[in-house]
Amino acid sequence: MFEKGNNFARATIRASVVVALLSAAVQAAPDKATPVSAAAAGSAGFSHVKSLGGIDEYRLDSNGLTVLLVPDHSAPVVTFEVTYQVGSRNEVTGTTGATHILEHMMFKGSDAFNDVRGNSIKQMLERVGGEFNASTSFDRTNYFATIGRESLESYIAIEADRMRHLWLHESDRQSEMTVVRNEYERGKNDPENVLLEEVMEAAYVALPYHHPTIGWKSDIEHVPIAKLREFYDTFYWPNNATVTVVGDIETDQVLGLVKKYYGVYPHSPAPIPAIYTEEPAQSGERRVVVKRPGELGAIIVAHKVPNGRDADQAALEMLDAILSSGKNARLYRSLVDQGLALSAGAGTEVLRDLSLHTLYAAMTPGTTHEQLERALVAELNKIKTSGVTPAEVATVKQQYIAEDAYKRDGTAAVASELSEWIGVGDWTLYVTFPQRVQQVTPADVQRVAKQYFGADQSTTGWFVPVAPKTEKGS
Amino acid sequence: MVCAGGAKNGEGLVIRFFMLMALLAMSGAAAANMSDQAHRSKVNGIDLITYRSNVKDVVIIIGVLPAGDAMVESGNISIPTLSGMMLDRGTKSLDKFSIAEKLDNVGAEITFTVGEQSLEIRAKCLRKDLPLIIDTMAAELRTPALLVGEFNKAKEQFIGELEASAQDSGALAAQAFGRAVFPEGHPNRPHTLNEYIAAAKSANLEELKAFQAKYYGPAHMTLVVVGDVIDADTQADIAKAFSGWSGGQDYLRAAKAAATTAASEITVPLTDKPSVTVLFGQASGLRYSDPDNLALRVGTAVLGLGFTGRLMSTVRDKEGLTYNIGASMGDDSIVDGVWEVSASFAPTLMGKGVESTRREVNKWWKDGVTEQELASRKQGVIGGYFVSLSTTLGLAETILANAERGFDLGWLDGYPKAVKALTRDQVNAAIKAHINPNAMVLVEAGSVPASAK
Repeated sequence: MFEKGNNFARATIRASVVVALLSAAVQAAPDKATPVSAAAAGSAGFSHVKSLGGIDEYRLDSNGLTVLLVPDHSAPVVTFEVTYQVGSRNEVTGTTGATHILEHMMFKGSDAFNDVRGNSIKQMLERVGGEFNASTSFDRTNYFATIGRESLESYIAIEADRMRHLWLHESDRQSEMTVVRNEYERGKNDPENVLLEEVMEAAYVALPYHHPTIGWKSDIEHVPIAKLREFYDTFYWPNNATVTVVGDIETDQVLGLVKKYYGVYPHSPAPIPAIYTEEPAQSGERRVVVKRPGELGAIIVAHKVPNGRDADQAALEMLDAILSSGKNARLYRSLVDQGLALSAGAGTEVLRDLSLHTLYAAMTPGTTHEQLERALVAELNKIKTSGVTPAEVATVKQQYIAEDAYKRDGTAAVASELSEWIGVGDWTLYVTFPQRVQQVTPADVQRVAKQYFGADQSTTGWFVPVAPKTEKGS
Repeated sequence: MVCAGGAKNGEGLVIRFFMLMALLAMSGAAAANMSDQAHRSKVNGIDLITYRSNVKDVVIIIGVLPAGDAMVESGNISIPTLSGMMLDRGTKSLDKFSIAEKLDNVGAEITFTVGEQSLEIRAKCLRKDLPLIIDTMAAELRTPALLVGEFNKAKEQFIGELEASAQDSGALAAQAFGRAVFPEGHPNRPHTLNEYIAAAKSANLEELKAFQAKYYGPAHMTLVVVGDVIDADTQADIAKAFSGWSGGQDYLRAAKAAATTAASEITVPLTDKPSVTVLFGQASGLRYSDPDNLALRVGTAVLGLGFTGRLMSTVRDKEGLTYNIGASMGDDSIVDGVWEVSASFAPTLMGKGVESTRREVNKWWKDGVTEQELASRKQGVIGGYFVSLSTTLGLAETILANAERGFDLGWLDGYPKAVKALTRDQVNAAIKAHINPNAMVLVEAGSVPASAK
């Protein structure tokens, strides 16, 4: 029950890299997408939509629920995850953070499963030793558990019940508001997390990525329960959700269970609202400075780049790996090894609308912000002017091939990455994005660097530490 | 097994019974597999455990070597960490960029980190690259280049990281707590940040070379290799790569810390930290392998594990005072460890939060756990154990922890049975025998309100 879209810069960069790395390099020839066929495998009442990379997509005909099945019989466990297409991008002033508060409220009980009955989701999952959580990001909200296969039906029953029968009581909102506020406060303990938030606030003017996923403190404190109910009744419907099941499963059995518990719901009574806001063109460099108690400074240089489904994301991913993956990476050699930075990285917060690319560096004692920013931007400019080498591109491709094996080790990791691609708007990128990376050329990398990393399109943030008012830790 | 309409009380019992039967069936199958599939051998003095899992192509290596911070005793306390930092900065035959290139080219990773007692090794690779990774790891451990220029860079990086943590409420709370509950000379007693910074500034390469010569060796090293491996091939690769290597020291197995007899409170004031980190607890006086440890661990889980632990269900769910609170035991694999409650509170809610925490700990200590709580928690602990074994890394970590704690491979099978056999009397007796709510240390780190200082 933490939200992912509110992390400190390095963590976000790392998370972005992980998303991309875990989505990487399929060595084997991919399955061809299967044409839609009502006669394909699956229980009655489902349409088989397509199969790709060992993943089968179905649609529950009665209500539009999407189901992804990923059989893996290496261990007797299953990860079940439901992803709703709602995140902080669906919020407006006054309701910022509502998606995340609602995620917390989803653990307060539903009509059939609650603490009063002794069968709440927490009680059930902890009784069987399940690993479970939920998270909210800019583009999606997900709920997931990894459990022994014997417990799957019990979990599906609870998860389905809270899709439409959630308890939303004002008394629960009041106690949960302070819980969420403490989560917000924990984030504010980290000045570099604050820096990333302020960079995003400056980089996005119109798109809702402008505000942090956890919301503004005043909205967290005051959003009425009626607004949360409105949010729930707008977005928590089967046709706005994808169920993903990974692990020791049999297709017909699982589809039968999904239909049994989710099939009782109709399609949403109204269309799910679309976001029509577009970000206006940026017409010059933007800068923010965060001054907080601390010891060492940090810098983020950000640029808006295309949405996560765009073909150029593969070249951007290649560029980021060349800049920041391992000790041979360019930023390590030029910044860390030269004593200018304690750490440095590059990554993309891959988003459904406009994504955000960031370069990040944490300063060493004695380095100035000006020095570090010059060095950081110089590495980007080198790629714009001189490109990257075929050897660098080939190495990253090899790394992706290995990552393809690593990412299939564990049902939770597979479900988690699929959920991120669902949030971006196309789960098949889990399979096809690594293939796109394998097609990237050095020229592609140079082209995207030139196209997206203009100085007038940048938003630069400095964390400037100020002396603490009290003694520093000893 | 469960109806969408929800279970009535009677049905709930039936559900629990079936779920327990399912788990026990699962545990039986897995237990047999654990014993059958793990192989332990001494290879050139290294305690090597290999385990072939169902994963395809992936291999995880994790290991430990007694060369942690505590080993220097009266020497320069920065040397163990700096020694670990020097391992991936080149060997006598390859510079650091050449090593990185070799690993990058096959998508493999090798990392070294330093803890209280151990140098910790982690690596992952594809099956075909395992010999290359073992060779590289062995070269890094046996023949690091130890160049002056790299040593100076490592020092600067270490000092920078230490300075960066000077405003980290979590790190400072842990440091204050450890220093309050463990006496001078105990391996779990941390040094202060300023002591580390001063030591790093004065560290020299000769000290580091002497440290590696004394502590880096196979004598007390454990390596766990899990995944798509062939036992005999792996043993042969390890034997070849580490042939002729010698030396190494045992862990510090110090006398147990004396129990504290009086409560104390420590405030670590920090500016502009709107969430206060709170630690509340004591030295447990127990090693993991001590007879009462498992009973106290499961009893502690009733108090503070997960969302249904008493602390989360009251202090968070009912009272809304914190985002996270839990109770745990740790740092007890080799020496006696800690028992602690950790939480975060807003400064304005800290007083109430600490009061609620004390109330729940006192109640738990006074009345113990109920039969129902224990039954449910035992089932959850066993289920969680098997879920944790479903990834290659989870398997490797469990096997290594088992070895560090001094158990043979049979304990991998015996653990769930031992949990299942625990009685309420054993758990409540262990709580009474080892926990003293009236002699606990309370640490608060952050923007603590003046009234609380």
